Amino acid sequence: MSGSKPDILWSPHHPDRYVICDSELGLYRIGPVGSAEAKAGTLPLSEETAATLLAINSDTPYMKCVAWYPKHEPECLLAVGQANGRVVLTSLGQSHNSACKELVGKEFVPKHARQCNTLAWNPVDSNLLAAGLDKHRADFSVLIWDISSKLSPETSVAAEKIRLSSVDLDSSTVVTKPLYELGQNDACLSLCWLLRDPKLLLAGMHRNLAIFDLRNTSQKTFVNTKAIQGVTVDPHFHDRVASFFEGQVAIWDLRKFEKPVLTLTEQPKPLTKVAWCPTRTGLLATLTRDSNIIRLYDMQHTPTPIGDETEPTIIERSVQPCESQIGSFAWHPSSQNRMVVVSATNRVMTDFTVFERISLAWSSTTSLMWACGRHLYECVEDSAEGVESMIEKDIATKMRERAQSRYGHDTVQVWRNHLLAGGKDAQLKSLWHDLFYILSVSHMKQCAEDMELKLQGNVQSVVYSGIKNIVKTTSGTTESRRCWIGSDRQTDVLRYHSEERCLALRLCGWISRGTDTDVENFLRSLEQEHEWERAAAVALFNLDIRRAIQILNKGAMAEKGDLNLNVVAMALSGYTDEKSSLWREMCSSLRLQLKNPYLCIMFAFLTSEPGAYDGVLYESSVAVRDRVAFACMFLNDAQLPRYIDRLTLEMKEAGNLEGILLTGLTKDGVDLMESYVDRTGDVQTASFCMLKGSPGEVLKDPRVQCWIENYRNLLDAWRFWHKRAEFDIHRGKLDPSSKPLAQVFVSCNFCGKSISYSCSTIPHQGRGFSQYGVSGSPTKSKVTSCPGCRKPLPRCALCLMNMGTPVSNCQGTGKSDEKVDLTRENKLAQFNNWFTWCHNCRHGGHAGHMLSWFRDHTECPVSACTCKCMQLDTTGNLVPSDSS
Amino acid sequence: MELHILEHSLKVASIEKEGIQICTHGLIKLAFLASKTRCKFFSLTETPEDYTIIVDEEGFKELPQSEHISVADATWVALNVVSGGSNTSTSQPIGVTKIAKSVIAPLADHNISVFMLSTYQTDFILVRERDLPMVMHTLSSEFTLFRVVNGETVAAHNLGVTNGFVKPKLGKLPRPIIHPLSSPSNMFCVTSLDPDTLPSVATLLMDVMFYSGGQKESGASSEDSNHIRFFSFSLIEGYISLVMDEQTTQRFPNNVLFTSASGELWKMVRIGGQPLGFDECGIVAQISEPLATADIPAYYISTFKFDHALVPEENIQSVIGALRTESAAQ
Repeated sequence: MSGSKPDILWSPHHPDRYVICDSELGLYRIGPVGSAEAKAGTLPLSEETAATLLAINSDTPYMKCVAWYPKHEPECLLAVGQANGRVVLTSLGQSHNSACKELVGKEFVPKHARQCNTLAWNPVDSNLLAAGLDKHRADFSVLIWDISSKLSPETSVAAEKIRLSSVDLDSSTVVTKPLYELGQNDACLSLCWLLRDPKLLLAGMHRNLAIFDLRNTSQKTFVNTKAIQGVTVDPHFHDRVASFFEGQVAIWDLRKFEKPVLTLTEQPKPLTKVAWCPTRTGLLATLTRDSNIIRLYDMQHTPTPIGDETEPTIIERSVQPCESQIGSFAWHPSSQNRMVVVSATNRVMTDFTVFERISLAWSSTTSLMWACGRHLYECVEDSAEGVESMIEKDIATKMRERAQSRYGHDTVQVWRNHLLAGGKDAQLKSLWHDLFYILSVSHMKQCAEDMELKLQGNVQSVVYSGIKNIVKTTSGTTESRRCWIGSDRQTDVLRYHSEERCLALRLCGWISRGTDTDVENFLRSLEQEHEWERAAAVALFNLDIRRAIQILNKGAMAEKGDLNLNVVAMALSGYTDEKSSLWREMCSSLRLQLKNPYLCIMFAFLTSEPGAYDGVLYESSVAVRDRVAFACMFLNDAQLPRYIDRLTLEMKEAGNLEGILLTGLTKDGVDLMESYVDRTGDVQTASFCMLKGSPGEVLKDPRVQCWIENYRNLLDAWRFWHKRAEFDIHRGKLDPSSKPLAQVFVSCNFCGKSISYSCSTIPHQGRGFSQYGVSGSPTKSKVTSCPGCRKPLPRCALCLMNMGTPVSNCQGTGKSDEKVDLTRENKLAQFNNWFTWCHNCRHGGHAGHMLSWFRDHTECPVSACTCKCMQLDTTGNLVPSDSS
Repeated sequence: MELHILEHSLKVASIEKEGIQICTHGLIKLAFLASKTRCKFFSLTETPEDYTIIVDEEGFKELPQSEHISVADATWVALNVVSGGSNTSTSQPIGVTKIAKSVIAPLADHNISVFMLSTYQTDFILVRERDLPMVMHTLSSEFTLFRVVNGETVAAHNLGVTNGFVKPKLGKLPRPIIHPLSSPSNMFCVTSLDPDTLPSVATLLMDVMFYSGGQKESGASSEDSNHIRFFSFSLIEGYISLVMDEQTTQRFPNNVLFTSASGELWKMVRIGGQPLGFDECGIVAQISEPLATADIPAYYISTFKFDHALVPEENIQSVIGALRTESAAQ
């Protein structure tokens, strides 16, 4: 500590006091900024804390090391090791303490002078003070002094011999006879008492680490190493020790002392201090020379490194407590992760708390947990009903609810799936309607062969490939200029017709059948759903102003109807195709103030020039299907694909499921779904939607497979095993390639052949396991022997019947066709007959018997067997959380 | 007991007194600016005849080529005895005496020439690198051998020297002292200092090393012709060791030099009338064995031309007596 190299020591018992030692000792008290502001001379340490200098002691020159007495009384007693090897006891600000007085000023002098490198108080027997000294050819380097020792006659004799240094020696306070002398002809650079036994002293000697045992000083345990500086025991694991050499820290396990259990990454500059955090396990702080950062190594997850091969993982990070270069640091003894840092020059101090790493874990449901220091936080979704409408629920919650309501499983009325999903999500509604129209159109095409179709080729793939691809191939478009229905006034609106446009309109759901352009059915269904504005708009686009006005009137009169619709109807009835009329002028400007987008686009349509319908086409709050249908009717062959392409791109970027109408279930559709999943995480919808894509190419897409696997994993994680199985069945129907191959075979004990395999080769014996009673038809077939070698099958451990015999209490239905009646009872009966056995003891029998046995027992039913079969099955004890 | 074979490759050189000024730059760098060189082993001993330098290869590069410098034509390796695992806490005679019987005598018996350097901290036994296999073979029965490699101590294995290479001499031969002895009148102090305080006394040390030979010596020699000019400084692996006479110690400020609690002083026995050379073996053994028998602690410093033993002042008469008897027995 020669001026340039300061050090800090926290008081072992006062959490607010510490000593800085450089050329002198300074005792500081740390406190909150506010309380100390009145006093002059306080030094701010951080935003909240400041330090006050309490006392200075400059009695001991040539300080090399300092150690604070570990016991309460006398407090503030320090041992100072000097450059000439002497150890002096001194104190700070304790002048009136009598207990201290006896000891203060006491000096411990080695036989031969050399630098004192380190000091260590015994933590239990606090009279013992170990001093580590440099090498002398004939002297010991580790001296253990007893500070309570009275001066013996022989030491006073020794004092007589002192000639050179007699000047400053007061023989009454000088002790020259150490209690123990260890490490002859060696140098000691660092010392620490082992916490596991206060009689053991660990010393970093010249080229080895040595453990001295005070009970037998002629023996020592040692290991040759370079890493001998700064030995320090982990206060939380008494067998773990850190030491360093130049830039490298070695961690030792005293139980395996032959070599370091690990060495930390080497620093370019030599280390000056290494210290375990006393308030947190496995945190080691290191400081190198000329550095302004403290490097932390977190060995939290590796309390006891086992074996040679396992290199424990260590999390390394750096903290920068202050701008200037750090001279030294010291962990606070009790305040968590707190340290005081002193700069290399000018004694600038900083109070600093290392922020704890945060580790975070999501559960498969919506809760989130994180740990910081000694705190564990859990964040759960607020399930209170009141806020439900305010905040959207987490997607995991939504998916769980939807899985329970069998979302995705309605394969007939596909559009109903959005109701199963809660019926609140407009995009899902649009998606399932799209899928419904796609499926119904393709289905119709398959059935109605009579329909005259120009789209020969692969009809189905065209339907699945979305409107974008359909309109691309459009040809033979005819134009027509029609009158307003119910009036003979000619419109100047051009309407386009073609097979493809018609198909597109059907996919949009506007028309339902054939080339018929009648939208009456559609209008009626809209009226039923009270979508008055939309119905009016559709009627108007079909050039039926009168119908539109009717619809609006109906809407105004309906229950909870909006009376303003009458006003709109009045405005509509004033339509004139006069270009410069007041009506036109007012409508085109005032329409923007209408809140309902459909009302808005109605006037946009009426007031725009023919062929320029941007006011309709780019009104983003209008459903995509309506805009597309509109485009199919009024855009020419050049405008239409351009508009559809642009809209498709927009939908893909936004991940808007309405766009599936345009992309269909193609690669484009997968792209769109990808951005939807990226945005929402809804793998459930993605999985179900893509399963509908019958061409199969989309199912091979790795992204789709990834969604499906993730959804299955999610269901498993929620313990929705029945749902998962249901999903797998559903998936197997739509994607036959996903059906797993048989993975379990029952082989005969005698001939080793699979009993199912051998019977499947003989056709007249039926399929698979059905004849072993598994099919639920006990009376029909009953095979209790191996079809290969005719030896009997093993017996059930409980009923002692040969396997293949149906379970006696099974109420089989007698119907062998399993597809006909899959009642719960029937299915259970089949499973009850199944073979099952413990993989450990190999005992088993009928699945039904085993299930009922293990409901009450943990041990194997075979009398001499003590196998705890059920406990070996870790998942067997879990209960599925879905009821099915 | 452990014997550590250190990794330094050492050169032993002699600088004539009149040639010292051309070397001072390098020597000052080696002695006081250790961080500027990669030298780990440096020793400078001034005798009335010359300056003896022991330095490792890195440090040797700092010295100029000159006709004033003669270098012994061998590379030397330093051995160091460490008490090791079996730590007997009984007070032993210190220094060369301790290792006289276990190291020095066996090496003398095998005709291996040694060069001794005692310091405040320890004793170094220098042997020629080419003799190392023989040394290891000779000492492997007594010692656990370790080699220092990159600062790490590793067990050294016998380098395949088979038995019967040279038959050890059977029985104990008398080892008469062949060289003349002299004992200067001044008393010496073996001491050290804190490397941190070295800069504060650097100018004083330079003065002692290079400039105080002239007037002071002449003044002293006028009153006592038996007075000898002898000063040794070594900086080995960061440790400083100093040997100087009592008058020189007075020139240092208080509390800088490490002194033993008992403040012991040493007298010198100087061996050799003619320069001893490097090939003769058994010289150290001749001196150290009688001292070991009499249980007298000693330092032993070999220089390019002569050897020097330091013994406690109160023992000097009995030492001279003992050695004379040996010599007379011849």
